[in-house]
Amino acid sequence: MKAYKVKEIVTTNLGKGNPVFVQVLGICSTLAVTNVLKNTLVMCAGLIFVTGLSNLTVSALRRYIPARIRMMVETLIIASYVIVVDLVLQAYLPDIARQLGPYVGLIITNCIIMGRAEAFAMSNSAGYSLLDGLTAGLGYAYVLIIIAFFRELLGSGSIWGIRVLGPWWTNWSIMVMAPGAFFMLGLFIWIVKGLWMKEVKKS
Amino acid sequence: MPEAGRVRKGVGTVLFMFVITLIFISALTLVNLLTLERVERNRELLRQRAVLYSAGLSLPESDVETAELFDRNVREVRGDQGGLLFYEVRPPGQADPAGYVVVRGDPGLWGEIETSIGYDPGLERLLGLDFIKQNETPGLGARISESWFREQFRGKRGPFRLVPEGVESAEDEFQAITGATSTSNAVLDILNRSIEEDLPRIAAERGKP
Repeated sequence: MKAYKVKEIVTTNLGKGNPVFVQVLGICSTLAVTNVLKNTLVMCAGLIFVTGLSNLTVSALRRYIPARIRMMVETLIIASYVIVVDLVLQAYLPDIARQLGPYVGLIITNCIIMGRAEAFAMSNSAGYSLLDGLTAGLGYAYVLIIIAFFRELLGSGSIWGIRVLGPWWTNWSIMVMAPGAFFMLGLFIWIVKGLWMKEVKKS
Repeated sequence: MPEAGRVRKGVGTVLFMFVITLIFISALTLVNLLTLERVERNRELLRQRAVLYSAGLSLPESDVETAELFDRNVREVRGDQGGLLFYEVRPPGQADPAGYVVVRGDPGLWGEIETSIGYDPGLERLLGLDFIKQNETPGLGARISESWFREQFRGKRGPFRLVPEGVESAEDEFQAITGATSTSNAVLDILNRSIEEDLPRIAAERGKP
């Protein structure tokens, strides 16, 4: 693998082309699962697994997939990996599987995965596609983890389920509800685009 | 493209889809078989926890202790056809049952809600309520699984009515969830239907060996 291409893939997915705060994809789960850090981490691990392996599989099969049914095949591949994640969660982490509810199944409809399969895996080799899938998943994951950290801290006074703010702290109930996620995501995009990305553009 | 070429291409496309679907479904079947036993065990444990919780018993930390508590204290009461009617919860050393628990499936907003409802020995008040399965809207209707919602039913007496979230409720009322009117109404229907259908059945069958 060429170093410059690896760097390009990594920096694009983690920064200037980040799926959440630049492309604004996968927002449904970003809003829904980020009220508890533990659930967020499991969701992110599932998405990284699915994005990486579906990109790898689509890329490996790209020369054989008939163009007219490529999206059906991509959906089949993505759905299969998501079902694997769902079954493993139900078997080994049943409480988290229950809390995540339909959101594990909804990874199938996450635009990031189909987007990477269509935009990258269909026209690049398997190694690069795997890296692209993993880093796109990581780009999604770190944004969700930051949002979840602040939502759980402010909304429940805890981190990873452990109370860190004393009895003096009044929980901000809105933070564990859907509107809190909108505020946090909006704030995150504003900070990143308004401060960091502006500087990158200038330079 | 000549007709024969088009047909050949079409057949090839269908064949490709068929083969790749077969491969992925076979792989998924394998994963399903490998995890099936564990998933079934988790489901059974979830049901046991729900029955104990809705009977008002405090749940042990470990899964093994939960299973032991269930085996010791809960008896399944079955009908003439062998179908499960309800659970009789009888703590060891006590002559009289501590309560009766019904597990029932009813329609929710998006799918079935499987509920475990505990009644006191007099069949007048609720001992507790738990949800074994629900597919309600995350962040809205799915909040029926939150502790505050389930806890509010202990000691209440139906038939029930709804009051808005955050409003103090009387003994025949419970707080709805803001933004989840359909799910709140579904829970209301489940409880009132259970009072109407299950209580006469428990009254008729209890005490039978």
